[in-house]
Amino acid sequence: MEYAIRTENLTKSYGKTFKALDGVSLQIKRGEVVGYVGPNGAGKTTTIKILTGLVRPTSGHAYVNGTDVAAKPKDALRSIGALIEVPGVYDYLTPHETLTYFGRVYGMRRDMIDRRIKETLELVRLPDWEHKKTGAFSTGMLRRLAIAKAILHRPDILILDEPVLGLDPKGIMEIREMIRQFRSEGMTVFLSSHLLSEVAEVCDSVVFLDKGKVVSTDSVEGIGQRMDHGVAAVRFLRPLSPQDIERLRSIDLIRSVDVKNGTARLHYDGKPESSVQILKILVSLNLDVVSYAAEGVGLEEYYVSVMSDEKGVN
Amino acid sequence: MATNAVNTTNNFSETWLSLRFELLKHLKRRRLAILVVLATILPLLPLIRTPDTALGFAGNSLGFMTVLIVVSAAMFAGDAVCGEFEKKTSLLLFPTPQNRASIFAGKYLAALACTFLVISLWYLVLTLETGALYGWREMPEDMWKSFLTALIFSTAAVGVAFLVSSILKRSISATILVFLILMMIMPVAVMIMTLLESEPWFVVTYSANLITTVLGTTSSLPMGPHGDVVQQFTPTFGRGVVVMVTYAVVCVAAGMAIAVRKED
Repeated sequence: MEYAIRTENLTKSYGKTFKALDGVSLQIKRGEVVGYVGPNGAGKTTTIKILTGLVRPTSGHAYVNGTDVAAKPKDALRSIGALIEVPGVYDYLTPHETLTYFGRVYGMRRDMIDRRIKETLELVRLPDWEHKKTGAFSTGMLRRLAIAKAILHRPDILILDEPVLGLDPKGIMEIREMIRQFRSEGMTVFLSSHLLSEVAEVCDSVVFLDKGKVVSTDSVEGIGQRMDHGVAAVRFLRPLSPQDIERLRSIDLIRSVDVKNGTARLHYDGKPESSVQILKILVSLNLDVVSYAAEGVGLEEYYVSVMSDEKGVN
Repeated sequence: MATNAVNTTNNFSETWLSLRFELLKHLKRRRLAILVVLATILPLLPLIRTPDTALGFAGNSLGFMTVLIVVSAAMFAGDAVCGEFEKKTSLLLFPTPQNRASIFAGKYLAALACTFLVISLWYLVLTLETGALYGWREMPEDMWKSFLTALIFSTAAVGVAFLVSSILKRSISATILVFLILMMIMPVAVMIMTLLESEPWFVVTYSANLITTVLGTTSSLPMGPHGDVVQQFTPTFGRGVVVMVTYAVVCVAAGMAIAVRKED
């Protein structure tokens, strides 16, 4: 199977002692939206810089659509659109001038460049700024312009490095919405972020990176299941009487019951089948259930547990 | 999803594209405009006190030519490489399907083209002035040789600026160092060697003296309390040209090799 992005034992060393990347192997299928999560200094940007030909790996290989980036950078980079860190802009040029140049770099025809400039600036909500110098742009506008440059040539693969860094909540929502749109268009998106909520919102799967090593890879759904730690929070229409609580405790599947502020927390074995069975029993007991939700550990707690694991999976 | 990017570019067209983009940037930053104005106005300064001969007038005017070339090289090529990394525009420019060597070749050629333009303007104004003041028959016959020498020296000066820009990290440091090398370090070295009565033939700014000496002007250096005259050396045309071309080739090649390997 040819992956959109694949890396093999990617290593990047600076000097003799510091390894920014230590044998990173990734496999990202076409059309997938994958989050690349890790603390600052984990090696996310280094991986992205290798994938985009900005940095050469010390050892290992990075492939884009089956093409080795280090061996054939021009071929590999043709199908990539990238937003890396906070790129600078030529602040004395207008978006039209900047994007026209990059359109030519991608070998696009003049009429196509003009059309795509209109389309992309519309998409990133900068249509009225096409002929204004970028020196007057805000951080959010510059970021959106950089995204416009990244998608100008309709790349197969979009690589976004911390795309919401420094943006206000509205800007974050806009970027998030854009990523969803790219996904619906079948684009492969590789999204680096240290914001778990960001990744959970838009990604299909997540790769956790720490100290240059991949420490965990899973689908967002799979992480959700793993986070289920065997507590169901149940709210009832009426306050529970001591007899009701006793009836709950008598259910075989329930290990213990805590009641606080009108919500009963039922501890069980954490299996989804058990959770379903408990709900059925509650209904059969006519306890007037208002809401029933399996509690999980927070994504942040999962992140911390993964990151504190010393063993890499590579 | 079908990408719109197509493989139609080769190294030559990439260099041409980079050159045009750099020229647009020089125009938009007004650097080119500033130097064009200087190259038009400064040759008028010798009009304040005109010598008796056309040769003297041309010699006085072209005495500033080396400075103009150094200023132009520093302004157009001083931040050609390090500026992209310093301002992080490298993150926009490099993850694209272009050969990096083509990008930098375009940058060098654009800086050179701008420098050629300001030199040409200066010579144009000087030629018009000389013709108007002294008559066209009095025009120094080796003016074209001086012009050619100025162009050749500019390839070396822009090459030095390009190399410095690829080595250093900050644009301002690179620009200052280019000035220091071409305006202070090399001229001081020439002066010291001249005083030691050793011809500094290998120093490029010494070769740049050809810009005026090919016209037939000579000079000597008064030194000491009694105004003793130290005879200055005069570069030979052939060797001077070889030295300047060598500087250009070596500096551009070294600058290119460093720039292509440079990482964020």
